[in-house]
Amino acid sequence: MTGLAFLAPNILGFLGFTLVPLVFALMLAFTDWDLTLHNMFQSRPLDFVGLDNFERMINEPRFWNSLGRTLFMMMGIPFGIAGSLLAAILLTQNLRGGSGRNTGYIIAGAILLAGSGMLTLAGLGSTAMTLLVIGVAGTILVSGSIGGSTVYRTLFYTPYFTAGVATYLLWKKMYAVDTGPINVALTDPIDGLTTAVRALPAGLVQAGAWLCAGAMVLLLFWGVSRLRRWWREEDLGVYGLIFGGVLLGLPVVWASSWGVVAESGETIASLAAAGYVVQAAAIGLGVWLVTGLAGVERTRLTPSDEGLGSALILCAVLMIGLFAMLGLSRVLYALPAMAASTGGLKPPEWISDADWAKPSLIMMGLWAAIGSNNMLLYLAGLSNVPGELYEAADIDGAGRFGKFWNITWPQLAPVTFFIVVMSVIGGLQGGFEMVKTMTNGGPRESTTLLSFYIYTEAFELGRLGYASAVTWTLFGLVLSVTLFNWKFGNRYVNG
Amino acid sequence: MSTAENQTQPDSERKAPAPRTNRYFGKLAGASAMHLLLAVIALTLVLPFVWMVLTSFKPLEEVEADSWIPTQWLWENYAILFGSKSDDIQYKGLTYGRWYWNSLFVAMCVTFLQVLTSALAAFSFARLKWAGRDKVFLLYLCTMMLPALVMMIPNYQIMISLGLVDTYAGLIIPAAFTAFGTFLLRQFMLTIPSSLDEAAEIDGASKWRLFWDVILPLTRPGLITLTIFTFISTYQSFFWPLVMLKSTHRYTLPVGLLFFDSSSGQETNVLMAAITLSVIPMIVVFVLLQKHLVKGIQLGAVKG
Repeated sequence: MTGLAFLAPNILGFLGFTLVPLVFALMLAFTDWDLTLHNMFQSRPLDFVGLDNFERMINEPRFWNSLGRTLFMMMGIPFGIAGSLLAAILLTQNLRGGSGRNTGYIIAGAILLAGSGMLTLAGLGSTAMTLLVIGVAGTILVSGSIGGSTVYRTLFYTPYFTAGVATYLLWKKMYAVDTGPINVALTDPIDGLTTAVRALPAGLVQAGAWLCAGAMVLLLFWGVSRLRRWWREEDLGVYGLIFGGVLLGLPVVWASSWGVVAESGETIASLAAAGYVVQAAAIGLGVWLVTGLAGVERTRLTPSDEGLGSALILCAVLMIGLFAMLGLSRVLYALPAMAASTGGLKPPEWISDADWAKPSLIMMGLWAAIGSNNMLLYLAGLSNVPGELYEAADIDGAGRFGKFWNITWPQLAPVTFFIVVMSVIGGLQGGFEMVKTMTNGGPRESTTLLSFYIYTEAFELGRLGYASAVTWTLFGLVLSVTLFNWKFGNRYVNG
Repeated sequence: MSTAENQTQPDSERKAPAPRTNRYFGKLAGASAMHLLLAVIALTLVLPFVWMVLTSFKPLEEVEADSWIPTQWLWENYAILFGSKSDDIQYKGLTYGRWYWNSLFVAMCVTFLQVLTSALAAFSFARLKWAGRDKVFLLYLCTMMLPALVMMIPNYQIMISLGLVDTYAGLIIPAAFTAFGTFLLRQFMLTIPSSLDEAAEIDGASKWRLFWDVILPLTRPGLITLTIFTFISTYQSFFWPLVMLKSTHRYTLPVGLLFFDSSSGQETNVLMAAITLSVIPMIVVFVLLQKHLVKGIQLGAVKG
């Protein structure tokens, strides 16, 4: 009885605001509740419509597009994780040098000397801006030299800790097309680039585009051959092969629709022509990818989830590389024509440009993600790596990178797995506040992520039944990631 | 750099023989490189904040200038927030001080209630035995997996029927009971040895005394962690206040900040002043409690 008495305040609230809404939400998804039809002026009875809402969702391109954009935004996750890991490793290095405290003062003194030296060199030409940046950097260094890693950790963590509407609005202003500090700073380098591109023959720059495309094909070949080798050596199970193949296939699929986008969205005729070449090549590559992976030898005893983590990480990194190559080659191909136009090259329009909006949001996300909880988890993970392993490696004469790949990275695998799963779950349902404050879903719906789509459907258009169906679909996605974690995570964490 | 090395070289040569000096400088160079790398990363992360603070002191004409530093430092942007130009049509409805208070008030109420109810429930789950306890806890755990979005629509309907739309209570009450807080504090309470309970029982202490005098003080790190989490997430929360609040004077800061971004306020300098002030409570909480936070995240996440 006392047990329930202690629980009472919490469980009443839990029942009222979690469990009852839960059941209610489940029912809602099967009704036609629409605030334009059912409101206080017009009390039509609610109808149960079965699976109509879900059927509508499947036939609704806006749903699929917002899901696609949500998945696109997840390409930032590996960068964020890599940044967190790098930050954590740097923070655990020996920052004191040889003999304790005086190192700090030496470094501080050296920096101040270097700073003042630079100022003297720059002389009267130095602007207040250079002074400002040097001053901030010097302050950070001096306080870091005295306070050690705590100072840096605090500074790294601040963007994550304060992330919210306030910092999103800050970045919105930083990204402003004509007045934002980013584009103000970019004006001169971009003008320089315009002159350089105009001076070069157009064919040379465009050759760069084809080089990038070639590099993409090579990356893809390399990835597939690596997967096949792992498979042959029985280091890879069937799940790893399938998931890895899907990841590698995504850029190819994207490239195959690239020509169409270029044709309708761009005015440059040659780009459309190049698009067809890319399209044809992509379809060819896709066929090769499928046959190449399907054609592997089948008879084997390897467990199906063997090597899944390594395959996923390899293929995710390769996938991002492939996307980057594609984007780069597209930019390079269009560059001469853009530079030749009257205004020359312009800095990107960031969140005001449909193509740049998502990468801009990803970049801002990275700013907040490097010093996030993931960094703290990695810090904890690093402190749990047994020191004897490094000592043994020292005796074997292993270098820094050898130690990282053979000790640190495998030892941190459980932490990485946990972080990846959490980031994917967070990525599926997140992004609402960012999108609402920075872009309001635009431009041209390019940043309408799943969470924002649900918000507009429910609270702006009043289609509560339909929006509930979409939230339950979102829940299904989250659940499948969680189940994936349960199925494969334990093996990884304990192994 | 060379000057610094020249100054220290004779000093360390006296202390140690030549080979050790090499190692000393090797380590020194390594440490310096690390410091430089860390400082460059930190600088990149901090620059947006530097721009924010500097812009908040600029007059409007200077916002687009190449130089980040104001030619004249103005406090006026901050004064505008607190009503120095409230007669201007463009600042009509701007009650920044009120929003600030609303945010702090709601965040404090939610934090207090959530920590209290979570501690009670966690005690029940971790230290008391009753029929069906583990099943109820499993139910709690399962709901933690649900995206917050799932609850938004039905909870909004519940708030309408309770008549709590556009009230502070509508912001506070649904946030006061969470499965997450219960889960986190239970984790902390499970680490306390159970011999303490037996000792208290032998001394004739009631369950309430056991909770209040024994368990709660020992759960302090967990309570602090939950306090930080709850305070910050409520202070930052945006979705729920956005759908719940209709009258301008009840806005919390995140919703209020959008005011500057609407048609009436394109003034980046005033917006930056508003943002700067709104970030301050978080920085204060962070700097004061960061040690606990770091531990709490590691404990909570690793176990969860």
